[in-house]
Parts: sequence; C-alpha cells; structure tokens
Amino acid sequence: MNLIGGQLMDDKQARAALGHINEMILNTLSGEPLTAGRVIAACDSLSKKIGSGAYLPLLLARGIFPEKAEKELAEAAHMLSKEYLEKRLEIEFDDSFGEIAIFEGGKVRQMWKPLGTLFHIAAGNMDALPAFSVIEGLLTGNINILKLPGGDDGLSVEILRELIKFEPLIADYVFVFNIPSEDIEAMRAMAGVADAVIVWGGDAAVSAVRKLAAPDTRIIEWGHKISFAYVSGEPSDAELEGIAENICETDQLLCSSCQGIFIDTEDYNEVTRFAGRFFEILQRRSAEMPLPDDPYRTAQKTLELYTEELESASIQKRVYRGDACNRSACGVIASPDSALRSSYQFRNCWVKPLPENRILAELLSYKNHLQTVALLCEPEDRGRLEAIFAKTGIVHITDGKNMSKEYPGLPHDGEFSLRRYMKRLSVKS
Amino acid sequence: MKGTDARKCLFYHKNPYEAEKTADLFLQAVRENLLFHMEHCPTYADILKARHFSPDDLKTEAGLWKIPVLPTLYFKRNRLFSMPEDQLSVSATSSGTQGAQSVVGFDANSMRLGVAMMTRFLSYHKLISKIPTNYLILGYEPSEHTQTGAVKTAHGITRFAPALHREYALKDTGSGYEPNPEGVKKALFRYAKSGFPVRLVGFPSYLWRLVGELEKRGISIKLHRDSKVLLGGGWKQFSGKQIESEKLFETVEKTLGIARQNCFEFFSAVEHPLPYLKCKNGHFHETIYSRVIVRDVKTLEPVPDGQIGLLSFITPLVGSMPLLSVVTDDLAAVYPEKTSDCEISTRFFDLKGRAGVGGIKTCTVEASELLKGENL
Repeated sequence: MNLIGGQLMDDKQARAALGHINEMILNTLSGEPLTAGRVIAACDSLSKKIGSGAYLPLLLARGIFPEKAEKELAEAAHMLSKEYLEKRLEIEFDDSFGEIAIFEGGKVRQMWKPLGTLFHIAAGNMDALPAFSVIEGLLTGNINILKLPGGDDGLSVEILRELIKFEPLIADYVFVFNIPSEDIEAMRAMAGVADAVIVWGGDAAVSAVRKLAAPDTRIIEWGHKISFAYVSGEPSDAELEGIAENICETDQLLCSSCQGIFIDTEDYNEVTRFAGRFFEILQRRSAEMPLPDDPYRTAQKTLELYTEELESASIQKRVYRGDACNRSACGVIASPDSALRSSYQFRNCWVKPLPENRILAELLSYKNHLQTVALLCEPEDRGRLEAIFAKTGIVHITDGKNMSKEYPGLPHDGEFSLRRYMKRLSVKS
Repeated sequence: MKGTDARKCLFYHKNPYEAEKTADLFLQAVRENLLFHMEHCPTYADILKARHFSPDDLKTEAGLWKIPVLPTLYFKRNRLFSMPEDQLSVSATSSGTQGAQSVVGFDANSMRLGVAMMTRFLSYHKLISKIPTNYLILGYEPSEHTQTGAVKTAHGITRFAPALHREYALKDTGSGYEPNPEGVKKALFRYAKSGFPVRLVGFPSYLWRLVGELEKRGISIKLHRDSKVLLGGGWKQFSGKQIESEKLFETVEKTLGIARQNCFEFFSAVEHPLPYLKCKNGHFHETIYSRVIVRDVKTLEPVPDGQIGLLSFITPLVGSMPLLSVVTDDLAAVYPEKTSDCEISTRFFDLKGRAGVGGIKTCTVEASELLKGENL
C-alpha cells in the first residue's frame, strides 16, 4: 500500500504521484514547518493508545504470541512516549536542540535545521522498522520518502496513518511508496529529490544504494551488524541467563542479538565445559519461551545441528542439541577456532576460545560490521577489557540481558542518528 | 567398487516398479554398498562408529532407516569419497540456489548402472524414442565453466531421443550466461514447421515464463503431436511463488499444442541422482532402486505414513561416495502401496515444501559477508 499526502493509493496512482513529487515537496517546504513538539505530541498520543491495549488484537491476528506481542507493544509505547523522545533529543543534541547558539560577539548564530528531504530505504528486518525510521525523520523536521521493503506487512503504513490522525500536518511530510528496488528508474527518481538516502540492509543493499545515489546526495547507512558475548573468569548463572534471554527473546535476528560466546581461554576443554553448562541454561530458558510450532524451521535447524554433529566425528567440535520434546530445537556448538560467525539463529549459538591477547587480532578485520558485546568478567578486569574492545569496531558494551534493550540516547551503531538527519546552520547577521 | 551381482541385477532389472520381486536383491545390494563405503571411506566409517551403527544391525528392510543418514548440507560442506577423486568420471554440483554447492563424483561403474537404470526407467514410461527430435532446453547450455547438476541432467536426457538440434534458454557466452529469448522464439517456430517431435526440457519456472509470454502475445503454435515436456526441479526458481502445475500444463497445451498426457514431471537430487516421475494422480512413486523414508523433523526417525517430515532415500546405486542414505531439504509425506489408483502400485510421496524460515527478518551480518572480511 502507498500513502501520499495522507491518502492511501494503489500502485498506479502512486506512480502517477511520483511523477510530480518535486512539486509536492516544494509545496510542503513552502508551507507550515513541522516542529518536533507537534511530532512528539502525536507520538505520545499514539503511545497512550498502544498502552491502552488498542493494538493488541492486531498483533495477535498476525500470529504473534501474546507474551511477545505485549512485550513488543510495551516497548513501542515506551519509545514513542513524550518523556522518551524528549530525553532522546536532549541527549543526542547535548541540550542544543531548538536552541540558538551565539558566537563571534553576537554576530553569528548557529542552530540545527532539517536536512530537507530524506529517502528511507527500509529493510524488512524488524516489524515496523520502516515507520520508526520515518518517525526519526519527522522528529528532525524532514520530509520523508519511504520505500517499503519487499513483502511488507502493512504495519508501518498503519502506524503512520495513526500519527497523521493525531497530527494532520504530518501528512504533507510523508510519502510512502510500495515500489520494488528492482525498479531502478523509480528508485533514482526518489533518490533524486532527496538530500540524503537512509539505507537499512545488508552489504548488497548498501552497495546498491552507493551506486544509485548521485554524488550530491548524502548516504546514511545503517548496515547489518554482528554481536556476541565475551566471557572471562567464572560468570554466575544469572549472568548467563541474561545471554540466554537475549538469544530467546530476539531469536538472534537483530544486529544486537548474541550470535555466540567467546571464552577467554586457550584451553578447548574449558570451551566445551562452558558450552555444556550454557546449553543447560539455554535449553531451560528456551522451554520457558516456546517458539511457535513450524516444521519447516524445525527441519532446517535439525539438519544444521545434525550436520554439525556428523562433522564432529572427524572435525574437532562438539554439539549440544535439544531433546525431541523441546520444539525450539536449540543447540550449542563448541569449536576450537576463534572465527566470528553468525549463528544458525533461532536459539543456536557457538562457543569458541578467544584469549584476551588475541581479541584485537581476531576482531580488527570485521571493522564496521561489529556492534554489541556482552562483557562478562571480574570487576577488576573490566576496565582493561573494555579498552581493548573500544579499539575494535564494537560500539556497545553491556551485559547479556541488555544487549538488545533500548534506552533514550543509546547511540545507533555508534552514532546519534537524529543528528545525522540535521545540519548545523551558521548565520552571520 | 565393481558391480556385484546384487547391485548389477537390481539396476538392470527391467521393471522399475516390481518391488516385491526385487526386495531381497535390494537389501543385499545395500549391505554390500554399506560395507564397501565403510572400508574405503574412513570419514564415513567414523560417522557410523560415532552414531553406534554396525552393518550387523541391518537385517531386514524395516531396519534400513537406521543407517546413519547424511543431509545434503553435509555434502555442501564436506567432500566425501570412497574412491580416489581423480578416478571419477563425472563431477557435478547442485544447482546451488542457496549458495553452497555439493561436490559429487561418480565412478565409471556407477555411471554405467545409472545409465542402465535410466534407460529401463524411461523405457517403462515410453519416453525413449528413435525418432529424431528437436530440443528446447529451458536452462543453461553446457559449458567448460559450469558444472551444475541440472545442466548435466538436462543434457543427458537429450540422449534418449536422437537430437536434431538443441536450443538453450540461457546461452553460454564463454564466461557466463545470457538469456536467449530471440533464439528460443525462432527455434520454436522452426521446430513447429520441421515435422519432427520437440522435447522441452528443464525447470518449470522457465517454462512458465516462456508459455506465459506466448500467451500474453496471443501466440499459439502447434508442435508435432509426439512432442513432450520433461520438467524437473525448482518450481520456485524465480517466480518466488509456487506455480500450479495443472495451470502450467493447460497453458502449454494452449500455446504449444502439447497434450497434458505428454507432459512429465520428474523429481531427482544431485545427492540422490535417481528418477521419480509424477503419476497421473500427481504422486512420485518409489522405484525398486531406492526406498523412501520420511523422517521426523526433530528426531530424524521415520514418521507414520501420511505424516509430514523430511524426505530421505536409501539407494545402493553409487560406489564412489556414500550416498547410500541421504536426507534432502524437502518436506514430504509418504503413502502406502496400492493407494494411488494409477497403474503403478508402489509407495509414493508428495512434496510439501522446503525446510527453512520463510520471510525471515534479520539485520545480522550474513556469513558470506563476514567471510569477505576475514583475514586469510
């Protein structure tokens, strides 16, 4: 579904609209500016409506488990609340949002202004992510063109329509197109009118956008990332529960999800011992939060873990795998190498050795692909290990439980995203 | 591995559906094949040992499922041979729609048995012809730079009716492939006039695109009445959605004039290179050359007939590598003999989709992207 000027349109109408998107943008720019205050008020109204349970049936109808749906809605309500958004602006702009700074003895003023028009190319990697990307653009006063991901479920358009009901001015600032990325001509048309292209997706998507956008268009990349846990010393069961919780809550699908665990050791026996211990915890936690039954997913996970098991007959590795009554088919694979890899996902993780003195050498090559590390260690080692991870591409050091938890002002992949959607304007009178 | 009597008798047996008559032969050939691989493939022997399987456990057909089953994923990640690789006459890879490819190699004797089996199988289904035939291959042209199994299968099948001409939907450019819509169209019109039968061979999705295009343009030609459509593999290839086979064959009849009874649908896998043909009721029947076992998606143990699970096979065809017991990525259900109500009385299976996570949403870096960043 397409959403232009607050109106739902079919693909044919939307394509016609794309033909004169320039004029529509000019109209919006010449009209009333959209202030952060108005956007926040609309988001807060939506947050309250979400909090009242109004959308729960909608998520349940999509086949999401009640516990998960409630959790997701509570999180969305929290992130759209006035307090949260105001705190975000305060932290991301260091109290300078909406302020005019005076320099040069009063002759120069500096202030934050919107970049203008943002073109969001959203990946379908999280429910409602496209809408959240647009909301960031709205908060910073920008006009937003959104290209929906393939196979979009319509949730983002519903959220944006709700916001428009609360604040009709937003209608002029949102253009949602349901056009496939293969339509290069349309993609160029959308990129052509944008001051910046915001791309969410893997290396292939990012490379495609680099080719698509003209040199005068800024590219803001939110690429795919990988996250893991690092364990030094003897962590408590509670700390490991935290990692297991992240693995089960996110099914390892997020950039911040734990894919595997590095152990600070050279000794493979320690790795297998840890893997066995962690498997018990993961299995228990997984059974408490069952996945919906899906023979296709289960079959794939079974084949992957079973193949690992077969390989362990001739290659040094050890597979701990869930019993038949555990439909999550979760597993832990211990191997002696230290290569960073994505997991099989859906509650399967690797455990590998990585002694402190090899962290830098192993992780440096992954540069910008790294994101979060859950650091579990003795208090006296913490500072030293943090300093080592800080030298790699890692941008977020936390504990297992909080790997994928948001807080207002949490930098996104090491940057304040709202700042990137604005420019610093200097005016000399 | 020399073609021992049991193995040779089995694959040279004339009727591919005489299961009862050949049951002892099958079990004997399986036993021989198992022992051969154990002796000649140390990794395979390790696997059997690790899974606590001994050939002595193999006493009846009911125990066949206990032979440790190897997933296609295993062959995508490991080379597993029971003969020196340089002695293998053919090396093919799977079509590899999901990245990794299997390396499989066949020795001359296994190839001979395979050809004998294929000849008997196709002969039974009256698909061998002496009449010169024009071919339209709905897939890749064979070349030096590609080894995909589908290419070889498509090419191999052109040997069962003498080829006058072969036209390919994807032409070899020397370093890659390019679509050949003009060549295909010209060939079709030429074939229609030539007075010889035509065989269209390849992926259903490619055929769907071709006849869809003809239908859209209102083109309808009449190919020779003995013309045939032989399809195999990838129904989803590039359409992204399942094409209904009956709808496809209707369009084939409308645009090319090939009758429904001349359209055949095969199932095979690179790791299990045996033919299965869909009967008139839409089922793939078990042959005397193999046994079909549908396995539980969690335990990999057999499920009762009619229940959905992972499709796996047992066959003693191959000597060069332990393809004795393999499990595919396909989900299927198997049904008992004599329940299909067609001329074939053996057990049969219906495909029920592929293992995997549909519409997965993730922002984790993919494995291939990480490998690029790896320090070598």
